[in-house]
Amino acid sequence: MRVLVLFAHPVETSFQAALHRQVVTTLETKGHIVDDCDLYAEGFQPCLSREERIGYHDEGANEEPVRAYVERLRTADALVLNFPVWNFGYPAILKGFFDRVFLPGVSFKLEGGMVKPCLHNIRKVACVTSYGGTRLRAFLAGDPPRKAVGRVLRVIVKPGAPVRYLAHYDMNRSTDDSRAAFLEKVRMEMERF
Amino acid sequence: MRVLMIYCHPVPESFNASVRDTAKAALEAAGHEVDLIDLHAEGFDPVMRADERRAYHDIAVADHPLPDHVARLKAAEALVFIYPTWWYGLPAMLKGWLDRVISPGVGFELPHGPGPIRPLLNHVRKIAIVSTCGAPRWLLLWVGDPGRRTILRGIRALCGRRCKTLWLAHYLMDSSTPESRGAYLAKVEKRLARF
Repeated sequence: MRVLVLFAHPVETSFQAALHRQVVTTLETKGHIVDDCDLYAEGFQPCLSREERIGYHDEGANEEPVRAYVERLRTADALVLNFPVWNFGYPAILKGFFDRVFLPGVSFKLEGGMVKPCLHNIRKVACVTSYGGTRLRAFLAGDPPRKAVGRVLRVIVKPGAPVRYLAHYDMNRSTDDSRAAFLEKVRMEMERF
Repeated sequence: MRVLMIYCHPVPESFNASVRDTAKAALEAAGHEVDLIDLHAEGFDPVMRADERRAYHDIAVADHPLPDHVARLKAAEALVFIYPTWWYGLPAMLKGWLDRVISPGVGFELPHGPGPIRPLLNHVRKIAIVSTCGAPRWLLLWVGDPGRRTILRGIRALCGRRCKTLWLAHYLMDSSTPESRGAYLAKVEKRLARF
């Protein structure tokens, strides 16, 4: 499969960067073609501009400012999101990818005022993430990123596509063992991807 | 009260700008002092860079990369967020403001051992969100209201124990009418007049 990996962490020595390497190398070992999109390294600009917002609903023309990213999304068979949870959500650079690239005509169509998802080339989704706080704390806040993946992304992609959500909670008190165990879990999941 | 208003929309002539003006006027008429941050107008950079992330847990408040925003946040007794809900959540610009400004030492303190994090925004007694949403209410609820919860639960947990919250949304923006928008502005004015 052709897998688009969206990676969003600025620090190359971070645990997320280690997870990212694990994801990419395991997928490649298994024979997948990985399109490794490192949003920080590519200098992705996450803010919708005035012009983009005004032209947002003009399907086709709205893709122009982000054409290369739209192409990568359309040619992918699977999607892996790889990001740290900051303030109960995606880092801004990844949220901006949804705002700017998941456009009308790309990920959904508006027909008679109703939203029709259309990113049906994506047949598999996985999310590899880490939270500073505990799972309880995330749960009490409604765990927005878990729902954004499980309830939003799931609906946009091919109906019935499997969605895996792999999270290491409580990073602020993680240990070498907990991190190693999570890296191993991610390796196993990516081997079966 | 001293209200910090954080406004986020890229189009100066948008409906959100009318919402902002209505909200600001209503608060000022009620005797509140409003400090407005217009993120797009000031060209705020929402992306936390590598150096900032590396120093994130250790940086002294005095060395914070955004001292002006921190000072304005620390002076606030209430926060009012005005933004369009995109993909059920905050625009990247606003999400980045939360990530970069509300850092350890400013918004919270992490314990050295076990134990909960310590909130540091105890001076904030009220948080409001005024937002436009393309989706209907039921759909946002089903998705879990990520934007609303990020602020009214996540950030709220860093504020004073009795901090009150207010959520004012215009749903189904794509089929809004002059009447529905007018009614919404009137509601914003009324609710914020007794903020």
